[in-house]
Order: sequence, then structure tokens, then C-alpha cells
Amino acid sequence: MARSVPFALLMSILLVPAVFGQTREAEIEAARSAKEKVLAPETVTKAEQVLRDIKDQKVLERLSTGFHGLRPKIGNMVTGAGFALGPEFYRADLLREHLEFRTSAGFSFGGSQKYEIEARFPKLASERLELEFVGSHRNYARLGYYGQGPDSLKIDRTNYRMEDTSFDAIVTTRVNGKIWLGASLGKFYSNPGPGNDRRYISTERKFTAAQAPGIDIATNYIRPSIFAQLDYRNDPLGPKAGGNYVMQYSWNDDRKLNQYDFRRLDIDLQQYIPFFNRTRIIALRAKTILTDTDRNESIPFYLQPVLGGSDDLRGFRPFRFTDRNMVVYNAEYRFEVFAGLDGAVFADAGKVFPRRGMLNFRDLEGSVGFGLRFNVKNATFLRIDTGFSHEGFQVWFKFNDVFNQRRFGTSTGQPVY
Amino acid sequence: MRYLWTLVLIPLSLAGQRFYADDPLEFEPKPRNVPMAANRKLSDYYDLFSNQFGRPGERNSELGEPTRAKGVSTLGEPMQGAWWMKRHYYKRMSLEALQLGAGGRTPPSEGKWTIVSAKNEGVTPGFTVVDGAKRMFFVKFDPMSNPEMATAADAVTGRLFHAMGYHVPDNYIVYFSEERLEIGKDVKITGMLGKKRPMVWADVEEILRKVPKTADGKYRATASLALPGKPIGPPRYFGTRADDPNDVVPHEHRRDYRGLHVIDAWLDHDDSRAINNIDILVKEGGAQYIRHYQLDFGSTLGSATAKANSARSGTYFFSWKESAAQLFTLGLYVPYWAKADYPKFESIGKFEYKVFDPERWVPEYPNVAFLNRLPDDEFWAAKQVTAFTDEELKAIVAKGELSDAKAAEWLWRCLVERRNKIGRAYFTKVLPFDEFRVEGGELRWTDLPAKLGYWGETAVDVQWSSFDNGAGRKSPIAGQSGTKLPAMREGYWCATLTSRSKKTQTIDVYLRYSGGETAVVGIDRTW
Repeated sequence: MARSVPFALLMSILLVPAVFGQTREAEIEAARSAKEKVLAPETVTKAEQVLRDIKDQKVLERLSTGFHGLRPKIGNMVTGAGFALGPEFYRADLLREHLEFRTSAGFSFGGSQKYEIEARFPKLASERLELEFVGSHRNYARLGYYGQGPDSLKIDRTNYRMEDTSFDAIVTTRVNGKIWLGASLGKFYSNPGPGNDRRYISTERKFTAAQAPGIDIATNYIRPSIFAQLDYRNDPLGPKAGGNYVMQYSWNDDRKLNQYDFRRLDIDLQQYIPFFNRTRIIALRAKTILTDTDRNESIPFYLQPVLGGSDDLRGFRPFRFTDRNMVVYNAEYRFEVFAGLDGAVFADAGKVFPRRGMLNFRDLEGSVGFGLRFNVKNATFLRIDTGFSHEGFQVWFKFNDVFNQRRFGTSTGQPVY
Repeated sequence: MRYLWTLVLIPLSLAGQRFYADDPLEFEPKPRNVPMAANRKLSDYYDLFSNQFGRPGERNSELGEPTRAKGVSTLGEPMQGAWWMKRHYYKRMSLEALQLGAGGRTPPSEGKWTIVSAKNEGVTPGFTVVDGAKRMFFVKFDPMSNPEMATAADAVTGRLFHAMGYHVPDNYIVYFSEERLEIGKDVKITGMLGKKRPMVWADVEEILRKVPKTADGKYRATASLALPGKPIGPPRYFGTRADDPNDVVPHEHRRDYRGLHVIDAWLDHDDSRAINNIDILVKEGGAQYIRHYQLDFGSTLGSATAKANSARSGTYFFSWKESAAQLFTLGLYVPYWAKADYPKFESIGKFEYKVFDPERWVPEYPNVAFLNRLPDDEFWAAKQVTAFTDEELKAIVAKGELSDAKAAEWLWRCLVERRNKIGRAYFTKVLPFDEFRVEGGELRWTDLPAKLGYWGETAVDVQWSSFDNGAGRKSPIAGQSGTKLPAMREGYWCATLTSRSKKTQTIDVYLRYSGGETAVVGIDRTW
């Protein structure tokens, strides 16, 4: 019996770690032992796997890149053309990423077509020089026209077809990180015709050639231009501070009829005034297009500046006003809702006018409204704006920043873009 | 028969006991061999969405009784091992040791660096190079807009993390000229559209064109020595690795992870997500186990690696309440963080201390380990943060090698002031006593805020009890109060310290008297 006591104690000491663990270490080891029995490969869920593979395999990049550069292109048509779709071929990696090449065709349910081809060399002279060749053919079947001048009536809405072809070469040099200078030279062929929107009368049936110059005849232009830009916005894709000042002067030489020569000055001034650490921004823009002609010359109505739509007077229909000159002032108060969404309250004021001397703040049309801007990495990918004016209200779904525009080149020289 | 009962009862009594003979355990037990652990990558998008809109892990907010931190000793300290080591707070490091960080003695060698891979995309461009001593380094640059910013942030934060006990890589700020680089054999680079192609010298030039140069025409970068072992993907902030037998504590309940919230707030490490950690399979003594590292400190201290940090730092990308308030007031409601005033230091980015509020700071999206933190987790982290003296912080900031003395001064000032805010915030939530010890027959401790000069000593009442280790029951000893130890016999004793100003704040300090020696073996805090 006496021998049994130490035996029992010994047994208990030996058994304790195995059964219950008499030390903290044994307790941890017991947990490890239990885990060791159920070891399994570390995995991720299906959903995570998919998301991971999308990134690793650069699926989004490949989708945007397309199959060997071929991909669908949605939209990119003039407002009012209807839903548009077409193929695009795009390669940004040619010549060791020194040549970007793009060509596309777009077709809208409203009967419009657009074909483009573009070759761009963005990295010449250590990325200080860009050279771009652009060609396009557009057949817009139903552009709106309300008559010339600030007093045109909403009820006078008509529509016309605009068929044009252009070729341009653009050279741009970066003076420093903020200043760009450039020039372009291009050829432009225009051919207006009857619109296909049966809801509205065709333009040539309502307006005479005197009221809508150039409506009855096709012509073509040589159009050289020079331009300059001072851009010190903090982020051009989603500016929150800084300014962007663009000026372009172009000569439009009517080579066919010699009666529609004109010169055009585009000025676009944007200023972004941030406060509360760029979570609140006052965004201001003043934009004007001024034209002039020699005596006895006029400007085709479809090359005259227009006003109204998602990017300027948001309470009015697209192309609501047309005349030889235009000016628009926009002010937005933008506020951050969360990292991916900004809200905005805005006011627009602008007018078209026949003589440059009327560039002033009198007789402006106005609209006000509010909007939401969804963004990824600061760049707006969806903008929903609702604008109100004395002509009613407009709701815009757009996939760009409201003041965004191509830096310069041909876009400002064409009737619509 | 009687002996049989003895056989049964002794283990039973041991099983229910509060303290074991080896408490407090200083180190994790020797790690078991990890037989299989394959590299598994996580998706950063999934991490964002699952944490922002899902509820991964076990949340304290959903438990009736919050889960206290696990994986800690009975003194409340994380056990040293694969996750964390006791360093500066526990045993003061010299200025030199603080500056050296996780290594500090083996920068890339002179001579040619051979590029073995390169990255011309992503957040920042970079190379992987092998130096003359055949060591591999990951080379990362500052953004053009903010020279010195990301490299300085990495250098400073990496050293602070190391001093606070975390495993971090051995990183160096290096300066080099283009001539030092050469392209290795068969090196490929991924083009802008995702296709791999042979790397040519023009690719090196293009990468270098995107990064700033120093006044003397050199490139400045962080060179991070490749960690010894095999990378097997990041640990998550919740759950455990299924292939690691040593990983038995859910990460959301680890003190060293919960406490990171406070540390990350101090250093504005709002990018503290899973993919900025890494598990490394290391071999030691013929066995292999997983060590857990913190990585990528370029997005700290006002830097967002590729640009200055957003003013949003310290708030979630998205929260219902704040978003609704801003939307429906048309922005008239301005969140507190938006009112911060940042001085213009390109080499710092956006870092400040006046608006900083450690209690309101959160990372970019919810992190369950951070959300689970309790006041004792915060206290544990805060005592480490406040362990750095002004002089020590200055020495560490110097390792950021900022050429603008005013910027360095600002960075140091921010670290000092934010440190003090953290001390003041978290030392009020629990009784801020630590370093309990027995000296001269009395129980002594360090009153941290008093020692650091935040405020005067906190008055407490002390009540002694005997402690039944098997039953976990305290029996107060009548008339035994004050710091003087009671007459003890073999066994366990407990001193309950109660704040006189806030009675809910108590600390139970457990002592074991054995063989004539008295040792502090356990601490329990209430708040």
C-alpha cells in the first residue's frame, strides 16, 4: 500500500499533461495538437479567387485592351443620337509603347455613324513632344437646331443631318510640366442634309439659307490652328485644385465656295478653389467661342458655336442656342459624400450673340441644378446632373467630368464633339 | 481506492486552476514543424469589400461578453515568438539599436546591382536587384511629386514597428546612379497591357524617368532586403491559417493585432490591411514554421506611397452615417478630419497632430481585429507608443534622411504630439499602472502617466486577498490594505487596486509565494 502512494502521484503527474495540461505550455501544445489533426491547405473563397484572378490576370486591362486590341466601343456619339455601339481596335503598346493606334466605327440606333482613326506618338523627345494624326468621318443623322440667335424659340426645334470628314495633324510640345504649346493643320469636308428624326421638322424645311447659312450646300476647309494651355490642376482626371486655361485660335479657309471663311477663338478658363482639405470645392469655368469673318463672308450654321446641354447650360436641351459667338459661365459647389461619390450644386449662365462686342454679362440664360459624381481614384466615371431652367428641366447621365475636354486640337474646331 | 481518488482528483484540480507552474509564459512554446504551407495570395479588392460590407471574423460587438485578448501570458503580454517580440518598452534599446532597426548593418553592397525583375506599373515603379554579395533587395522609389516622402516614411515607421516588437524587413535608404544598374539574364517586364516581354535598357530609363532625382543627380530609394525564407502570402486580420498548427489564436483576438489600431493611428498607417503583412516560412533547427511580418510602411506618416496621403486619412472610405450627413446637408456638415491644417512639406505629405484624435481614427476600411480592441489592448499598445522619448524619436526620424530640416522637425513634432495624445487618451480608460513588482516587502508599480508627465499619480485603494488557484476564488484578508505584502504562506495572493476616482477601474495583481520567493504572476484589469 505504501508503495502505491508515490505510484499514484507519479501517474497523476504523468497523466496530467496528456489529459488536461498542467502547464501553460502543455495547454498550448494541446491546442496545437488538436489543430494539427485538421490541418488543411490554406485557401480562399471562390469570390476572392475570382477577384484575385481578375487582378492578377489583368482581366479588366485585357477587356479594355480587347482581343489583340479589338474591343467593343459603347457610346461616344453626339448627344441625342441614341445608344451607339461599334468595334474599336486599340493598341497602346506599339513601337515599345511609343505609338498608340486607334480606329473605331460606331453606329447608333438613331441612324448616326462615326468612324475614326488615330495614331499618336506621345513620347517623342523624352515625352516633351507629342505628334498625333487624326482622321474621322461622321454621319450624324439628327442634330438639333432651333434657329440662330439668342431669341430662338424652343418650339422651333428642327433637326438636320451632318456628314463630315476630317484629317488633322497635331503637334504639341510641353514647355514645362504645366505649359503646353501646339499647332494643328487639317482638312475638313462638310455636307449637311435633312435630319431623320420624324418628331421634328427637318431644318431646311423651316429655315432658309439666309437663316441657316450653308444648309443648302457642301464645302470643305483647310484649317490650321495654334493653341496654348496652362494646366496646373492637381489631377486632370478629377481636378480639386488649380487651374486650366486653354486658348486656341483657328483659321477656317473655305476652299470650295470661298464664302464661308472664318476665324475662331476658343477660350476655356477653369479654376478650382478647394477648402476643407479639398473635400469642398468651388469649381468655376468661363468658356467663350468668338468668331469673325471678312465682309460678305458668313459661317455655316453647323460650324457656329452652340449652347445648351450636359456640359454648359444644363437646364436646356442640347444645342438649344446657336450663333456666331457664345459665352458660358459655370459655378459648382462640390462636396465629398464619401471617397467614391461627390455631390454638387451648380449654376450656369450663358448666351449666344451675333457680335463679339456683346461679350458681357447682360441677357444671360440661366440654369441651376444639382448632381452626383461617382468616381474611382478621383476620376469621374458617372455623372448624374439635373438642371432646371425656364424651359423645364433636364436629367443628364454622362460618363465624363463636366468641364473635361480634350486638351486642344480638332475637337474645338468641329460643330459637335 | 483512496489512491485512485488521488489519481483522479489531482489532475482535476489542476485542470481548473487559474495559474500554472510555468505562468507567466514569456515565450510561445517551440513552434511545431509546418509540413505544408503553400503560397496563397489574397485579393485586396475582396479584402476591401468583405471588410467594408461583410462581417468576417468574430466580432466583440456581437458577443454578449467581449472576448479578452488571447495569446497572451497571465500578465497580459503577448508571448514572444512568431508574431511579436519584447523590445523597447520592456528593455530599453539604445539610440543606435533603435536606428539600426531590424538589421541595419547589411545595405546593398557597392558595385553593380543586377536587375532580376522590374515593375513599371502599379502604385510605384521598382526593381528587384541582386547585389555583389548575391543578396536580393526590393528597390522602391518616391513619387515624382513627393521626393523623399515614401522612403522616409518607410525608414521611420519600419524602425518604430521593430522597436515595438513586430517582425519587419531590414530596409535601407540608398542613393545610386544609373550606372550601378545592369539587367540580368532573361529578365522580363510586363507591358502596359499585361503582356510579358524581355526587358531592355529603355525600360530601366523609363522607370527612372518617373522617379525624382536628388540634387546631386542620384536616385533615392528604399532597398528592402528579401526576408529569409519562403513567402506564403499575407495573414488575415481574422481567423487562423488552416495550414499552420502553431496558429491557434484567431487573429482578431490577438493582442498584438488589436493593439495595432493604436500604433497605426499614431503613425497614420491607414493602409493597414492584410496584404501589407506577409507570412514567411522559415527554417530553423531542421524544422520549418511560419513567422508573421508587417510590411510596406511607405503609406504612413503622411505618405500614400505614390502621392501625399489623402486628408481622408483616419476615416473609412465609406460609412453610412457620415455619408448621409454630408449628402443631406449638401456638405454643410464637415467631418472633423477635413478641418486639419497641413503644412506644405512635400517630403512629408499630409501629417499633422492638432486635429488628430486617436479615439476617432480608423483605417481605410473596417478591420475586425481593430474593432475588437478593448481598453486593455489599447493600454498595451499605448504604453509601447509612449515608451519612445523625444530624443529617441528624433534619432529615428533622422533615419528618414530628410534633406529639409524643417520637414524633419515637423515630422518629429507630429510624432511627439500624437504620441502624447495617445497616452492621454488610453491611460484614462484603465488604471494606467504597469511593471508590477515586489520590492522591500511591498508591491510596487509604475504609474505610467505620472512617469511620463501627463498628470499626477492616480490614487488607489489596495485590498489584499488570498487566492484559491483551483477554485479561482479570492478571500479578502481583513484589515490588510496598502502596498505592504501580507504575511504569506505557500500559495497565491491577490492585491486588488481600485481607483479612488473611478471605482470601475481596478487591477487584480496576482502573486505566487513559493519557496520563500514572491513573484507577480498575473494581472486582470477592469474598466
